[in-house]
Amino acid sequence: MSSEIDVSIRDVVKRFGVMTAVDHVSLDIHRGQFVTLLGPSGCGKTTTLRMIGGFEHPDEGEIAIRGEPMGNRPPHHRDTSMVFQNYALFPHMSVADNIAFGLKERKKPKAEIRERVQEMLRLVELPEHGGRRPKQLSGGQQQRVALARSLVVEPTVLLLDEPLGALDLKLRRQMQLELKRIQERVGITFIYVTHDQEEALTMSDRIVVMSAGKIEQEGSAEEIFERPRTRFVADFMGAQNILDADVVDADAQSARLRFGGGTLAVSEAGLLPGETVGVMIRPEKIQLSADGAGVPATVHERVYKGATMSYQLALADGTRLVADSMHGDHAERFAPGDMVSVTMQPRDLVVLRGVPVQGA
Amino acid sequence: MATTSLPVERETSRTAKAPRRRLGGGLMLLPPLALLFIFLVLPLILVLVYSFYTLNPITGLMQQDFSLQNYKDIVNSSLYLKIFWRTFQIAIVATAVALLLAYPMGYAIGAVAPPRLHGLLLLLVIIPFWTSYIVRTYAWIGILQSHGFLDSLLGWVPGLPTELLYTRTAVIIGFVHVYLPIMILPIFASARNLDRRLIEAAQDLGASPWRTFWRVTFPLTLPGIVAGIVLFFIPTFGSFVTPQLLGGTGDLMVGNVIADQFGEAFNWPFGAALSIVMTIVVIIGMAIFFKFADVDAIYG
Repeated sequence: MSSEIDVSIRDVVKRFGVMTAVDHVSLDIHRGQFVTLLGPSGCGKTTTLRMIGGFEHPDEGEIAIRGEPMGNRPPHHRDTSMVFQNYALFPHMSVADNIAFGLKERKKPKAEIRERVQEMLRLVELPEHGGRRPKQLSGGQQQRVALARSLVVEPTVLLLDEPLGALDLKLRRQMQLELKRIQERVGITFIYVTHDQEEALTMSDRIVVMSAGKIEQEGSAEEIFERPRTRFVADFMGAQNILDADVVDADAQSARLRFGGGTLAVSEAGLLPGETVGVMIRPEKIQLSADGAGVPATVHERVYKGATMSYQLALADGTRLVADSMHGDHAERFAPGDMVSVTMQPRDLVVLRGVPVQGA
Repeated sequence: MATTSLPVERETSRTAKAPRRRLGGGLMLLPPLALLFIFLVLPLILVLVYSFYTLNPITGLMQQDFSLQNYKDIVNSSLYLKIFWRTFQIAIVATAVALLLAYPMGYAIGAVAPPRLHGLLLLLVIIPFWTSYIVRTYAWIGILQSHGFLDSLLGWVPGLPTELLYTRTAVIIGFVHVYLPIMILPIFASARNLDRRLIEAAQDLGASPWRTFWRVTFPLTLPGIVAGIVLFFIPTFGSFVTPQLLGGTGDLMVGNVIADQFGEAFNWPFGAALSIVMTIVVIIGMAIFFKFADVDAIYG
């Protein structure tokens, strides 16, 4: 990882009337990374992006780009470039003129402009489309033109505000890979805003999960998905099993939790006896057996999912649990109504705090 | 690095022909077409026919013959050429002054003011229409005449023009006041439809607010400007009340001359011929203007 920081956000607050859109956010974005701000609508991700671009200005705190504090500097004096949600291509200009827009503002010579526009059209694989009008292109093609228009000015940071939101799922998936490919080729820092966790996982080097104007967790895609720190992150990343548990006793490295009529050991430091926490476990990490070695549960439903068999379980206290098992030749099969025994390994249990935890 | 293969996308064509209108649509067009025929085409034909008539030099009565004499008189007289040229000048200056006022106003209402205020602000723009145009023009006499309202208000300031009534300036003021709202409305409409993100995108790509205006805002509101100019210029060019009431003898326009032919000289054939010439001049002028301000090219 490069240690140079392209964007530094320090304790930034943004209010709109009585609503606090961004609430004391601090974040460092390293050069050349693909960073995704992920969260539901209204979580402050777009406002944060717009503040980096200079379209909004922080009420408190400071944003610096390459070490230079931005203050209230307007967008045209910043070295950032934005790809807008609905592309915002200039309808009165050809595709080539759209891409040339920023270069003309920078007073580049005509020959250079022509050459770099062609180069960009090739990068986004639309070499023959320079003479068309934006509305003669499909949504995916317009999206690529918007990307080319922003990249051609060689910004320090490229800001992307849900750029794939208007595309259908199939095209989205293809564009995700293409965006990632282009980002790796040009090596520019990308800050990407989305509410789609799958999109974030596919493309990002770092994911910043936001909720209610605050950062819930920041980390690599794997960290966010495998080791969420809060209930919100676990839930947002699509966790199916989040259980309430009480800490029975705890020492420096581990703790014992009681939930659903059973107790389980977890290797988590810093828990206090009597505390209520959340526990997440992936459905595929739950082992089911017929003998009584684990927590007892009843099979409610069985769903065949091709590679796996998915079981809906109910624990003694009514808590619901989903378990996926590979149904190879040796796997036991259970039917609705069966009593089974649930076992979970301490290393697969992820303890979730209700309070947001910041920084990585 | 591996290149990902690109999705082959279906070209979305928005230029495809709309489905043929059903017969019902054609029937619904009949009443307006009938109205247009009765109140526009028929009178125009009548005027055209009259323009070929002549006056009997002895009785002064209209003779129903076919003569090009009226047109010859118009073309061969430098007086009418001069009046046409003057009319054109006055209308152009008034249009330019009106545009300078209407653009900021239409833009501010459409693109700056919050949408919930649009109705109220447009109402304020339109309210002057509720009073007769002649009454409002008379009001300007009171304001502009010597020792009138304007003189008593600003007469003490050295260097400011006084006694504006019966000058070219008064005529221009009158036109701007009377027709300003119909220029504001189309500009408002195009400003309201302007996508804010296009302005943000331009600034984001390094354009200063001024450059953003010239490269994005102005071209995208051009359809409104063009419509506003046409709507303002045409009635101004044909007007006769405003120059009659506010202008001096040197400010008479084609409309005054035509009105005189009908009302004073009772030479209807000549008045009709002048009207036809004026209509042709305006049509040619507009054709040249549309060629110059090619709105279709903006959206290709």
